[in-house]
Parts: sequence; structure tokens; C-alpha cells
Amino acid sequence: MTVFRGFLIITKRNIHIIWLYLLLFLGIAIMVQKAAGGNTSEFEQVSLNIAVIDRDGGKLAKGLADYLSQYHTLVELPDEPSIIQDRMFYREVYYVAAIPEDFEERCLYGDETLPVTKVPGSNSGFYVDQQIRIFMNEVRIMVSSGFSLSEAVEEVIEHSADEAEVTLIDKNGFGGKQPMHAFMYQYMPYILISILCYSMSYIMIAFRNEDVKRRMMCSAIPARSQNLQLALGVAVVGIAVYGLCTLMPFLMYGKTFMKDPNMPYYLVNSFMMTLVSLSLSFLIGTLVRREEIISAIVNVVSLGMSFLCGVFVELEVLGKGVRTFAQFLPAYWYEVANGLLSNNSSLSPAQQTSLYTCYGLQILFAAAILGVAMVISRIRQTA
Amino acid sequence: MQTTNIIQIENLVKRYQNLVALDHLNLTIHEGEIFGLLGPNGSGKTTAINCLLALLKYDKGTITIFGKNMHPNSYDIKKQIGVVMQNVAVFEQMSVWENIDYFCGLYVKDKTRRKQLVEEAVRFTGLEDFTKMRPKKLSGGLLRRLNIACGIVHKPRLIIMDEPTVAVDPQSRNKILEGIVELNRQGSTIIYTSHYMEEVEQICTRIAIIDHGRVLATGTTEELKQMIKTGETITIEALALEETALAEIRELPHVFDVSYEDQILKVKLGTARHNLVRILNYLQEKDISFGRVFSELPTLNDVFLEITGKELRD
Repeated sequence: MTVFRGFLIITKRNIHIIWLYLLLFLGIAIMVQKAAGGNTSEFEQVSLNIAVIDRDGGKLAKGLADYLSQYHTLVELPDEPSIIQDRMFYREVYYVAAIPEDFEERCLYGDETLPVTKVPGSNSGFYVDQQIRIFMNEVRIMVSSGFSLSEAVEEVIEHSADEAEVTLIDKNGFGGKQPMHAFMYQYMPYILISILCYSMSYIMIAFRNEDVKRRMMCSAIPARSQNLQLALGVAVVGIAVYGLCTLMPFLMYGKTFMKDPNMPYYLVNSFMMTLVSLSLSFLIGTLVRREEIISAIVNVVSLGMSFLCGVFVELEVLGKGVRTFAQFLPAYWYEVANGLLSNNSSLSPAQQTSLYTCYGLQILFAAAILGVAMVISRIRQTA
Repeated sequence: MQTTNIIQIENLVKRYQNLVALDHLNLTIHEGEIFGLLGPNGSGKTTAINCLLALLKYDKGTITIFGKNMHPNSYDIKKQIGVVMQNVAVFEQMSVWENIDYFCGLYVKDKTRRKQLVEEAVRFTGLEDFTKMRPKKLSGGLLRRLNIACGIVHKPRLIIMDEPTVAVDPQSRNKILEGIVELNRQGSTIIYTSHYMEEVEQICTRIAIIDHGRVLATGTTEELKQMIKTGETITIEALALEETALAEIRELPHVFDVSYEDQILKVKLGTARHNLVRILNYLQEKDISFGRVFSELPTLNDVFLEITGKELRD
């Protein structure tokens, strides 16, 4: 087992990288936990300092000012452009709506929009814009429906205080909220890809050195046995890294994780991702010949795949184009499976089929990547 | 004296598409020899060694080592061979000790025996003070010694060394050469290729000159020197030699080549007595003034030049 022993010695030399990434993993998990803080079901509106300059004085203008005052603090401001600019520059006000004369005619029945001054491209600007748009649309609809203007304004203001009661449907056994171990599993592909690709590529390059390979080919150990020992080394390191990554959710969220009926599925899903990561590491180890560039390539692969496939950002938040492209990457299917598991405590037959499809696709990706790596390796050998 | 053939190469042919790398190569190497393989770049030395080690398939011919046919799966033969590659073939991530132990482990399974062999190899190559160091911390000479230690640690019966002293300082080179002679003294047969003619002349008991994939000559240094016309080269610092004088020197007995350049007269003669005296008498008779005079016996370089028609480093 000399080759296997050599493999482990070289792995030992890279152990600091494995610990570094595991600590990073742990750090991300703790940060996410702190950021989430268990308050995902509560919502608080933001109140801004805004000003309404009323040049019209009509019912609609007064109604708009009253409507906005329900959400924001209205600040008195003279109708002087230089003063408005100064106050906005120092962020004493975030938004100034200047209601023109004949507001009703021009903006409610006409096509004109309300002239406003806001911080360009700011969230606060969009936020107040949206509220004004809602007010105007609702008044317009009610007037069209036969209400008088004053009735319409009153109704809109009155009903704007209504709050819809939101209850999260508890489909996953965690009050509808994302369990913390699911967050941890969401980030796991990044860690698995980073650790395995870095350490394995580094070892692969050492064993692929032409001179070392020639010397080993001259030895008394058959090539087949050497390859088997290398494969055993890869398996041992892969399982060890998988074990360490699996240990994390147990250590941090042991009780809730063990209560989760989907726990075995999480374990299988992350195992599939381990296989994908191992085959990726084999491909990188085959393609890369210089140790100095491993780090750069591994970062591009792990971070690129993580950003595109919803590891760092929820899949739902990603654009349609990105999601379509991500379907050609294995981490996407890992995240789809992870989403299914985190949102449902019991899976319907259709969901189970989806889950197994995700597993199967990950295996296919692993096999395909391994195949490509082997073909490249073969071509290089015969070149 | 009865000699055992340790390697027998017969009619070996290796082609790379239209290029014939080995053209019916024949070689016999006896047990206990330090056999030098000399040839210019592209002559087929490395191809021959790769075929010998079954790293390369060949088109025709047979290779017998220790009386058995050599195949990629001849592990019983491979067990008795040590290889020292031209490039340093070690793991950067392992220490000197771990590297030697690793390559020893490819031949020797028993841990105690391996430890003993590694200790011996470390001592033999003078790496005692560097066992915990990684290869990249070693100097070029030490790295070469590590390369050798990895190749000879399992005490092989046959050692193949492919230019083991390339880019090594003279001090380390001498140490390596002494080591090779010692290995031979301990019973290993050695095949040695080198660009350094003086090294081959210094340590090899028999030499083969190879070019265009064929063996042009084989023998001891003395035997090879006897194969060529040059028995002696006389060099004389002489002022203003005219063409008529050069023609007359050419006519002297045993002279077969005369050149005169930058006031240096070079005369090549066949093996005979009083060559130098005859040349000097002629110069005195003709009242040609001359300065320093050198007489050199043929070197291996002369042999190589005459047999292959080119310098070794061409």
C-alpha cells in the first residue's frame, strides 16, 4: 500500500487548507444564523423624512399628503429649489413631492406624472414612488367606479391602514421557516468543491508528474494496483471531508436536525455533491499542470458555480436566464433538492420523483465530468 | 573469464511514424559492468532505455534481461532494476526521508528491512543532515543525490542511470561518480548515459557509441581508441608557416591530417614511435621557429568525433 501511504502523506501536507475551508464554512453558518435571528416572520415598514409641497391645495393633494403621512414623517419645507437641494444633500429629507396646480386634472385624469425630487437610484425613492402610484391608481379606480373624489380619497386613506394577516403554512415542520441546518446544507457545495478540488488537484499533480510516473511505471508494483491505491486514497479523503462536513450540522443543530424527517435525504444529497466534487477535482487535476494556478482555478469553479446555482443566493432570487444556464451545472440540482427538503417535511410522490431526479442528475454529472477527465488524460498520455 | 550476459538486445527496431529511432540495435551487457551509452542528442539512447524498461513498445526485436524476456508485466525483472532518471523524479510535498522510503516501498514491503535500506541509501548519498528537508530546500547537487538515493535504495542488481550529473557542480559530480563506482563494487551492474565524455572515460568499463539508432562501436576505452586512425595529436605554436612547409609535413611518415590556424599547427598521426621527434627535426631543419609543443594521446572525444563525424553536444 505504498502508493496509498504516499497519497495520505501528501494529503496531510494540505490539511491546513481543509481546516481553513471548514472554519470558513462554520463562520458562514454562524453569520447566517445571526442574520436570520429567528425573526423571519416579522415585518417592519421603513419610515422616511419626506416633504410635500402643495401648490394645488385641492382635496386630492391634501389626501395624498395625508396618505403619505401614514407611512412617513412629513417635513415642512419652503418651495425654494436651493433649500430643497441642500436639505436633500444632507439627507434631512429623502423625497420631495411638488404637487402642481390643477393636480386633479393633470395627474389624475391627464397623463402627467407628479414632479418629485429624490436621491437618484435610491431604494427610498422607489419606495415612495410606489406608494404614490398605488394611491393615485386606487383613487382613479374608485372615481371610475362612481365614487366622488372626496369619497374616493377618504376610502383609500381609510383602507390603507388595513393589514393583511399572514400565516406561514407549516409544510416543513419548522413553522414554515427555513430550518438552520437547511441553510448550512445550502452552502455545503461551496465547501465540498473548494476543499476537494484544492486538495485532490494538488495531489493529482504530484502523481501526474511525468518523471515520477515513469519511475513508478518502472517499479515492481503493477500499474493497476497503483491506480487502485490512488482511487482508494481519493475515496478515503472524499469520505473524510464528507464526514467532517456532515458533522457540522449535527454539532450545531443536532436536535432539530435529527428531528427532521428529511435528514437521510440531506445526507444522500450532500454525498452526491461529494461525488461531483471528486470528479471535478479529478478533471482539474488532469487539466492543470502547475500548482501555482490551482488556487485560482478552484476559486473560479467553486465561487462561479456557487453564485450561479443558488448556493449563496436563493434560487428564487436569481434571474430566469441565470437559472436556465445553471441547469447545466450540478450544484443547481443539489440546490433544487435542498429546496425541496427544506420546504417540505413529507414529500409527495411527485416531489420524491423530483428529488430522485436531482440525485440522478448529480450522479450523471459526476460520471460525465469523470469521463471527460479520463478522455483528456488518455489523449495526453498518447500525445 | 566467464561472463554472464545481464542484458541482451537483438535487432531492436522502433519507429515514430517515418522516423526510425532504433535501427536493428544490438547490445550485450555483462554482469558487473559499468556500461557507458554514448551518443549525440537524438541518437536513440533514451528510446533504447525506455524500450529496455518496457516504458515504450517497439516494432521488432527482443530484449532479454536476467535471461528472461522483458515485458511491461515483467515485475520479477523490474524488482531487480533501479532507475535514476535524467530529471529529478521526487515528490515536492514529501521530505527527503519520506521520498526515499516511498520509492523503496515500491519494491520492499517489509517495514524493518525498508528502514534499514533507507538508512543505508541516506548514508551512501551523504544526505544524513537533510532527511527532514523538502526537495525544494535542497541545492542542485543534493537534489541529484536524492534522485539517485530513490533509484538505488532497494539495492537493485541492475541500475540504469540516464545522465545523472546534468547541471551538477564539480564537487557533487565527483561524489556522485565515486558513488556509482562504489555501487558497482557492491555488485550492481550499471548502464550509464552521459554527455560528459570524461565521466564515461573515468568510470565505464565498457562503452557503446550509438548514433541514428545503431551501435557504431563497442568496447573498452582502449579498444575504442585503437579502432580509430588517430594515435597521437601534436600541437605546436609556430610562426609563419608556408603552404609548402605544410605540404611537406603532410608527407612525413604516419601523418594523416595537418591544420594550421592562428599560428597553431595541429598534426594528427597514426600510432608509431618517434612521431614528435620527426616533426621537431623537420621544423629545425627548415629553420622554422616554434614555441610550446604538446603531444596528446587520443581521447574518447576523438573516438566519438571520428566514428560519428560530430561532437557529442551537437
